[in-house]
Amino acid sequence: MEINAERDGATVVARPTGRLDGSNAGEFQEALEGAIEDGDRALVLDFEQISYISSAGLRVILLTARSLQGNGGAMALCSLDAPIREVFAISGFDTIIPIHGTRDEALAAVSG
Amino acid sequence: MTHKILVVDDEPDLEPLMLQRMRRAIRQGVYEFVFARNGIEALQKLDEQDDIDMVLSDINMPEMDGLTLLEQIPSVNPDIRAVIISAYGDMQNIRTAMNRGAFDFVTKPLDFDDLRITVDRTLQHVEEWREALKSRDRLVTLQNELDVASKMQQSILPTAFPSGSNYRVFGTMEPARNVGGDFYDVIRLQDDQIGLAIADVSGKGVPAALFMMSSRTLLKGAAISFQEPGAVLAEVNNLIQEDDTAGMFVTMLYATFSPSTGVFAYASGGHDPPLVVHADGSSTLLPLTGGIAVGVVPGIEYRQESYTLAPGDTVILYTDGVTEATNIDDELLGIEGVREHFGPGHLSSDAETTGMEVMRVVREFTGDAPQHDDVTCLTLRQG
Repeated sequence: MEINAERDGATVVARPTGRLDGSNAGEFQEALEGAIEDGDRALVLDFEQISYISSAGLRVILLTARSLQGNGGAMALCSLDAPIREVFAISGFDTIIPIHGTRDEALAAVSG
Repeated sequence: MTHKILVVDDEPDLEPLMLQRMRRAIRQGVYEFVFARNGIEALQKLDEQDDIDMVLSDINMPEMDGLTLLEQIPSVNPDIRAVIISAYGDMQNIRTAMNRGAFDFVTKPLDFDDLRITVDRTLQHVEEWREALKSRDRLVTLQNELDVASKMQQSILPTAFPSGSNYRVFGTMEPARNVGGDFYDVIRLQDDQIGLAIADVSGKGVPAALFMMSSRTLLKGAAISFQEPGAVLAEVNNLIQEDDTAGMFVTMLYATFSPSTGVFAYASGGHDPPLVVHADGSSTLLPLTGGIAVGVVPGIEYRQESYTLAPGDTVILYTDGVTEATNIDDELLGIEGVREHFGPGHLSSDAETTGMEVMRVVREFTGDAPQHDDVTCLTLRQG
């Protein structure tokens, strides 16, 4: 699992690539945990390069969101393809994790 | 191989009844029964006879009741599984029993066909569990663990489906090679109604398989305690929240079907909506009810919808292994891909054929591309 992470102030922007399923969910989780440092307040997950997400992938997102929210932080997603957007709609995850069209909108939302 | 079952009940009539109703299985050497009248006697039997495979126990008994017995069983034999006999809809005791490690439950008055299915499933689980312990003693590789999880998953799927003069049910699953967490269940409810569930557990391996088992049992308990699908999902959601699930959750669609009226009522917890294929091959995708996956947010309500099935209608419940089947060009099948398949040339003739057709559509679409997720389909045909 390839994941590019960069930093915008106290916000981490992570861009995972490819498929996110049971075979690499553990790797994805470790990569995210590695990218977030103590004191980071927010995470934007840029899903532009994600082609598929299974429930195992959603679980990592839920765990990450809970852990950030537990520390008073925030998380947002952006740039989801229509099929990925639909997974979030059907699972109801779009009601608990904000989804934005673009990275700038997501960044503005989590830092606002 | 004969399985030894300890039956614990203070009701003296149960012993002759059980021996009579199970006589064929006893004669064939499938089951052997041992009886005890209360928890104390049961513990004595377990201590004397270490080849007992499972316990089937009533709750209310003198001297030591079934719930206390449940707590004591692991100290005598930790690898034994217990099934509880409870009053219909007695969720309080069922919950306590599940918390104390009961594997499953059956309700009074006993339906012996249902009991046999439950007993067989429990015995199968006991065997898988013993196998798992053996593999743990050997070198446990990840693949080994996944094999065990996969067997546990198979062991909870129903193999017999209820049917009536005007309806049929069929379920099937094609497991992914090493990941996945789908399951389905069919539950007999009061007034000849049928409960249908299809679900996809997040995560993988043994923890996900155990989570799947408890989800299934909690669902069954909630289904017989609450009639309305929305209330059933809300109850399962709350019960799951009480446990620490390490971020695991389950997308679940639960529906009830009344054969006499044809009314199909359903609620979705983050699961794909049901598809109804009509007699002429046209189809209707039922609306989403907007619920979040079960086990994510505590204390929420789940909305439900209903749809009246006409004779010749087939409801298809499915998991994302169907809609997200991916071909070699990385294209997704989608529910539209399934809908397009049914038409004048391919009518849905009965529950089993329709289920197998969906599986075939997925297989043919996937072709040589790898199967990434379990592919599961549960169908209900009216008329």
